[in-house]
Amino acid sequence: MLADALEHLVRGIVDNPDDVAVKNREHRRGVTLKVRVNPSDMGRVIGRAGRTATALRTVVSALAGRDNVRVDFVDTASR
Amino acid sequence: MTETETETDTAQEPDTSPAETETETGPAEDSLVTQGDVAADYLEALLDIADLDGDIVIDVENDRASVAIVEAEPGELSTLVGDDGEVLNALQDLTRLAVARETGNRSRLMLDIAGFREAQRERLRQIGSDAVNEAKETQQAVRLAAMNSFERKVIHDVAADAGLSSESEGSEPNRYVVISISE
Repeated sequence: MLADALEHLVRGIVDNPDDVAVKNREHRRGVTLKVRVNPSDMGRVIGRAGRTATALRTVVSALAGRDNVRVDFVDTASR
Repeated sequence: MTETETETDTAQEPDTSPAETETETGPAEDSLVTQGDVAADYLEALLDIADLDGDIVIDVENDRASVAIVEAEPGELSTLVGDDGEVLNALQDLTRLAVARETGNRSRLMLDIAGFREAQRERLRQIGSDAVNEAKETQQAVRLAAMNSFERKVIHDVAADAGLSSESEGSEPNRYVVISISE
């Protein structure tokens, strides 16, 4: 659910929604969501002074409740 | 630093902003309705994914699109409000970006969830009218605590309604309103 929610939120704010992919990695202490976006959308997803990335993390953490979630943003050009 | 643009808006519309004259910057009513529709789709899909129930109400208020998510069960949407509306503000930011992406225009859409903003507005109106009374009684300027641009706007409106003048002073995030008797 978390990965789907995050993917939806990100797809809505980028120019290349089809390039958005979110990978979910669960580990003992919580979850890491790795968000891949088109390199040209990286600025959009981070936002001025990181404001958009913070907003995305805030919403996802709220949806996660007590679970610990980490959200990483990477562009599709990097591996 | 995060609220600079919104603050400019506030400065431009101190009390009774004549929106009719803003043919270039003031969005037309139907574009505001479109903003509301786009926002509603974005939020509706989020509610579905998160398996949360809420009715979405779209409106146009003071030249802005406004979208409210109303709870089906009390407390059901409290996670989307967060402490002090932290999550609500984050969702509002994201919704504005989604609307801007879809329409090509910046959006000043207001989002409310579970009546949080309305309750907050009511609390601020009370603070504002207490300060107005104090200014009138003491015939001196009253300085309020630091507030964000949304909160200051509510105070400015209360002061203007009472026929007093008010100014925002200081810099973000410590900007505050001073209400004074004179013009």
